Amino acid sequence: MKAKVGVYVCECGPNIAGKTDLDEIITYLSEFRGFGDVELVVRKYGFLCSNQGKEYLEKEIRDLGLTHLVVGACSPRDHDSTFKDVCGKTQLNPYLYKIINIREHCTWVIDDMDKATEKAKSYLRAGIARVLYQSELFESPIDVNPDVLVIGGGVAGMEAALALAGENRSVTIVEKNDTLGGRAGKLRGFSFQEFNKPEQVEKLIETILGNPCINVFLDSEVTSVIGFLGNFEIEHVSLESKVITELFCGSIITATGADLYETTEESGFKYSESDDVYNSMEITEMLSSGDEITLRSGKEPETIAIVHCVGREELGYCSGVCCTVMMKTANMIKARYPDIRITQFYRDICLPPSGGQELYAAARSSGVNFVKVQSTGLSGTTVKFKEKNGDEGEQFFDMVLLASALVPSKDTPALSELLGIPVDETGFFQEAHRMTNPSATTTDGVFIVGTSQGPRNISDSMLFARASAGQILTKLLVGEKLVPEVAVTEILEAYCTGCGNCLDVCVYGAIYPDEARGISIVNEAICRGCGNCYGSCPSGALRTKHFTNIQLFREVDEALR
Amino acid sequence: MKDKKEKSSNSEFTPKVVGFLCNWCTYAAADLAGGSRLEIPSSFSVVRVMCSSRIDHNLLLTTFFKGADGILVAGCHPGDCHYGEGNYYARRRFAQLKKVMETLDLDPERLELVWVSAAEGNRYAEVVSDFTEKIRKLGPNPMNSSTRF
Amino acid sequence: MPKNGSVLIIGAGIVGMKAGLMLAGASKKVHLVEKLPIIGGKVIKNEESFPNMECSTCMVAPVQQEVLQNPNIETYTYSDVESLSGSKGCYEVVIRRKARYISLVNCIGCGMCYDPCPVSIPNMWEENLMDMKAVYVPTAGSLPNVPVIDSSKCLHLNGTQECNLCVESCVFDAIDLNDSDEVVTVEVEAVLIASGSGLFDLSALPNLGYGDLSAVYSPLEFERLFASNGPTQGELTLRGSDISPERIAIIHCAGRSEVGYCSTVCCMYSFKFVRFLLHKLPEARIYDLYLDICVPGKSYQNFFTTLGEGSTTMLFTPSLEDVCVTESDSALRISYPDTSGESRELDVDMVILTAAIVPDSDLPELARIAGVELDKFGFIKRTDEGSGSTETTKAGIFAAGTVTGPGDIQRSVIQGESAAGQIMELMSTIDGEKV
Repeated sequence: MKAKVGVYVCECGPNIAGKTDLDEIITYLSEFRGFGDVELVVRKYGFLCSNQGKEYLEKEIRDLGLTHLVVGACSPRDHDSTFKDVCGKTQLNPYLYKIINIREHCTWVIDDMDKATEKAKSYLRAGIARVLYQSELFESPIDVNPDVLVIGGGVAGMEAALALAGENRSVTIVEKNDTLGGRAGKLRGFSFQEFNKPEQVEKLIETILGNPCINVFLDSEVTSVIGFLGNFEIEHVSLESKVITELFCGSIITATGADLYETTEESGFKYSESDDVYNSMEITEMLSSGDEITLRSGKEPETIAIVHCVGREELGYCSGVCCTVMMKTANMIKARYPDIRITQFYRDICLPPSGGQELYAAARSSGVNFVKVQSTGLSGTTVKFKEKNGDEGEQFFDMVLLASALVPSKDTPALSELLGIPVDETGFFQEAHRMTNPSATTTDGVFIVGTSQGPRNISDSMLFARASAGQILTKLLVGEKLVPEVAVTEILEAYCTGCGNCLDVCVYGAIYPDEARGISIVNEAICRGCGNCYGSCPSGALRTKHFTNIQLFREVDEALR
Repeated sequence: MKDKKEKSSNSEFTPKVVGFLCNWCTYAAADLAGGSRLEIPSSFSVVRVMCSSRIDHNLLLTTFFKGADGILVAGCHPGDCHYGEGNYYARRRFAQLKKVMETLDLDPERLELVWVSAAEGNRYAEVVSDFTEKIRKLGPNPMNSSTRF
Repeated sequence: MPKNGSVLIIGAGIVGMKAGLMLAGASKKVHLVEKLPIIGGKVIKNEESFPNMECSTCMVAPVQQEVLQNPNIETYTYSDVESLSGSKGCYEVVIRRKARYISLVNCIGCGMCYDPCPVSIPNMWEENLMDMKAVYVPTAGSLPNVPVIDSSKCLHLNGTQECNLCVESCVFDAIDLNDSDEVVTVEVEAVLIASGSGLFDLSALPNLGYGDLSAVYSPLEFERLFASNGPTQGELTLRGSDISPERIAIIHCAGRSEVGYCSTVCCMYSFKFVRFLLHKLPEARIYDLYLDICVPGKSYQNFFTTLGEGSTTMLFTPSLEDVCVTESDSALRISYPDTSGESRELDVDMVILTAAIVPDSDLPELARIAGVELDKFGFIKRTDEGSGSTETTKAGIFAAGTVTGPGDIQRSVIQGESAAGQIMELMSTIDGEKV
C-alpha cells in the first residue's frame, strides 16, 4: 500500500503561525519529492489540541485514510499523548505518528522569521522521514497472579500480609525461625510509641494465624525464585523436613529485618561475656519482661553507663533509632530505680520526631548525666572516652549498655542473589529510587520493607510494609491484566552471539540468557525501553522499538540536508 | 584531510550541529529554554532519545559520516538518570568513542557529552550556543563527501 | 450513596501526586485539590535533593506531567476544600475553584500577557526575592503552565482603573476578567490529606536577626537563591547587591527548642547547602554552628562525612539560645558559647538559618473542615501511628507526608503509598468484609 502521510501544523495562535511563514512551509512540503513514492497531505490548523482540533484530526485520519501522521506543534511533553489518543480512536496505530516540537525548539527560540521557517521545514521533514520508518506496535496485556509471597514473619512482614490478604488474594509468609514476631516479638512491644504493649505483637500473630487467606511456613527458607512481576514461581523448603513446596505469586515482599552490630576489640571494645555489658536487645528484653535489673552477681547496679553510637563510625551511618531507645531505657530505669546513677556518653543526639525530644528532656531532668564525646571504648565495664573538648577520661561503671547500630541481616547477600535485587553501599537492600520509590526495587514486583531496606524503628517498619502493600494493591488488581511498556527492546536472534554484555548493563534484569540457543532474550514485560543495552551490543542484534537506528538516521539525514 | 587544516576561520560558515537529548532531563530543559524565549542557534537540530545511554557509537559516527559538524549529547546529571544509571554507561562509551574519532582524523572536540537538568533552561541555551560557536571555530567536518555515506 | 470509586486528595505535592497516580492506576477516580495555581509541592523549590544531589525538577516533572495527563485524575489547582461532610466510605466534598481569570483550556502558556501588565508584586513562591506581574506563573516551568491573576493587585479587578492590557495581549481568548469562583461538589469514598507543612517563623528568634538583617536567610530563601531557575538564576549574591559572600555561617536547629522536636531534615539540607556553596563559591569559608548532628538512616551520615576535611568548619555550641547575630562594621557578627562555654565571635557575610518544620498555617482550618484531630505539635494525628497506619482520628480520612510531622521525601512518599494501600483496602470492603 502506498504511504499517505498527513502532516498537520498547528498554528498555535501567533506562536507558530506568527513566527514562521506557514503557507510557504505547506507549499514546500507538499512539493517536496525527497521521500519517493509517498503521498503527502500537508495542512495547517488553528489549535490542534483543542477539542475541535482533535475532532478535525480524527476525521482527517479516517476520511483520507492516512497511513502515517506527523503533527507539527509543541513539545511531546505537552501533547504527545493527546495526539496518540486521537490516533487510538482511528485505524491509525499510534506508533505511526510523530509530534514535531516546532514551538519550543524553533519558533520560541529563533527570532528571525526566515530562519525559523527553514528550521520548521527541516524538523518537519525529519519527522516525515522518521515516521515512514516507524512500525506499528501493539499493547500485549499479560495475566497476573494477585497472590503475594512475604519473606520474613516479623512485624513488617505480618503487617504487609494483613494489609494484602483477602478472599481473592492469598499471602504466604515464609519465616526461617520457628515463631512469628521477629525482633519486635522479642522486644515485646518495647519500641512502640508507648512504653509497654507486649500484647500488640502477640495479637498480630494471632490475627495472622487465624486468617484463612494467609499461609504461614515456619522454619522455612525460600530456595528458588524465577519469573517476573505478576508471574513468579517460588520454591521454599522446610529446614526440618526438607520438604520443598512450590508456590506461584505475582509479587514478593522482602521483610527479613536487620541484626545488631557486634563490637570488636580492634574498635576499642574489650569485654567478656561475664562482664555486665548488654546491648539494646538484651536490656530491653530484661526491662520489658518485668524482671529486676540485676548484675550477673545478683546485686543491683549503682551506676550504669549508656554508650551511644556503637558501630556508627565503622559502618558509616547513624541508625537513627538508638537515641530514642536509650532515652526510653534510661527513663524506665530511673522510674524504677531512682537511685541508680546513669551517664550517657553520646556524640550527637539524634531524635527523629514522635516524642524523642520529650524523652530526652525527661532524661535530662531526671538527673541522667550526659557527656558529649568524640570517641568511646570499653575495657570490661570501664568506659574510656575522649570528650568534645579533647579531654580524655576513664570511668568505671557497674553496668554498661551499648546502643549498637542496626546492620543488614546476615541473610541479605544470599537473598540479594536469589531475588536479583542489589544491595547498596551499606549492605542493605537498594531501593528502585531512594526518594521517590523507596519500597520498590529495580526488579518489578519485588519489594523491600522494614529494616531490610535500612535501619528504622518498628512503627516506620510497619509503615514501609503498608507502603509495599499499597503498591501491590494498586498495581496487581485481582482479575485485571497488566499492560507492559510497548516501546521496548528486542533481540534479533540471527545476530545475537550470546555474549551477555546486554545482561550486565540492564538495571531491570529484563534480559536473560537462553543457554540452549546461545543467545540473550528480552523479557518485554519487564523492559522499560531505555536503550542502554543497545549501546552495549557488539553485533547489532538489539533493536529499541520506536527508537531504532534507521529511524534516528532518517531524522539526522533531514536535519543535515 | 587533516581536521586542523580546515580551521581557516570562515565567519560565514554555519555549522550543522545535532543534539541528541535525553527525554527526561535535557529535553525538558530545552522546552524550558523555549518557554523562556532564549535564543538557540538555528543550525542546531534536536533529536530526542529516551536515555543518553541509547546513543551508541554507530549512531554518532554515522551522524558524523552524514555530515554533522558537531554532535552534542546531553542527558541527566550523573545520579539523576530516570533509568537508574544509564548516563554512567553513556559516559563510559563516550570515552571510548573519542579515541576512535582520533583515528578517523576527526577532532574529538566535535563531540561533547554534557549533563543538563530539567531545571537548567538557561544553561541549556548557553551550552548549545557555546558548543555551536566552538564548532564554528573548528570549521566544517573534514570528511568530504567521498568519505561520507 | 452508592460506591462511586472516588477519592479526594488534598495537596498536589509529591505525596498527593504519587498516591493519586497509584489510585488512578487502579481505576479509581481521583479529585486532586491544590491551593496553589501549580502542582508539584515543595520539592520543586529545591534545585537538588539530598542525599543524591538529584535534580528535583527531573525527579518531579515527569510525575507532574503524568498527573495532568491522567484521565482518572481531576486536578483542581488554585482551589480549596470548603466543606467535607459524611462518614467513612461516603463523604461529600465542596471544592471552591478560585477565579483564575485565565482559561485552563484556552491558555497555551505563551506568557505574552506578562509584559503588558503594569503591576509588579513580590513573588511569594520565590520567597519574595523577586517581583512578578499581577498576572503570573510562580516560576518558569510551572505546571500547569497557565498563569493566574492576583485579583487584589490587578488594577482592573481591584477597581483602580479600567486596565485591559493583558486581555488585549492574549490572542487565545484565554483571559476573562469577569471570571468568578466555581463551587464544585463531589462525592468520595475516602480522603487523603497531604497538604504539607510550613517553616518555623524565624522572626520569632530576634537574637538570630532574621528579618532585620538582610544577609540572614531562611533555608527556602537560600534554596531559591541557588536555583538556576530562581530569582538570580543561581548566582549566589547577597540580597540587593551583586556581591557574593566570602564567609557564610549556617546556624542549625533554629526553633528546635521552641517547637519541642528535632525536624531531622535540617542537618541534611544544611550539608546540601555546604555542597552548593563549595560548588559555586569554592573560595568561600563556611561554618556550621551546631548542637547535634542528626543524620538518621543508612545514607545520610555519609552525605556529611563525604563533605571532606576543610569543606566546612564545624563549630559546636552547647547552647543555641545564647547564639546572637548582630551587624558588625563590615558584615555580620555571630557570638556564641563554645564547647567549654566561653563566648566567641565569628564575622561572616551571610547567615543561613535552618528552620524547624512546623504545621502549615492553613492546617488548623483544614483540620476543622475535615473534622480530624491534631497532635500536640499541631500536625495531623493518626490513631494507630504505632503500627504505621496513616488513618486520622476520623475513619476514612488518611494523612501522609509532612502534614503529619517533619520527615524527608522518602518517608513522605512511603506514607503516601501506605495511605493509597489503606484507601484501596477501605474501598474493597463492603460492610467491613473484604472482597
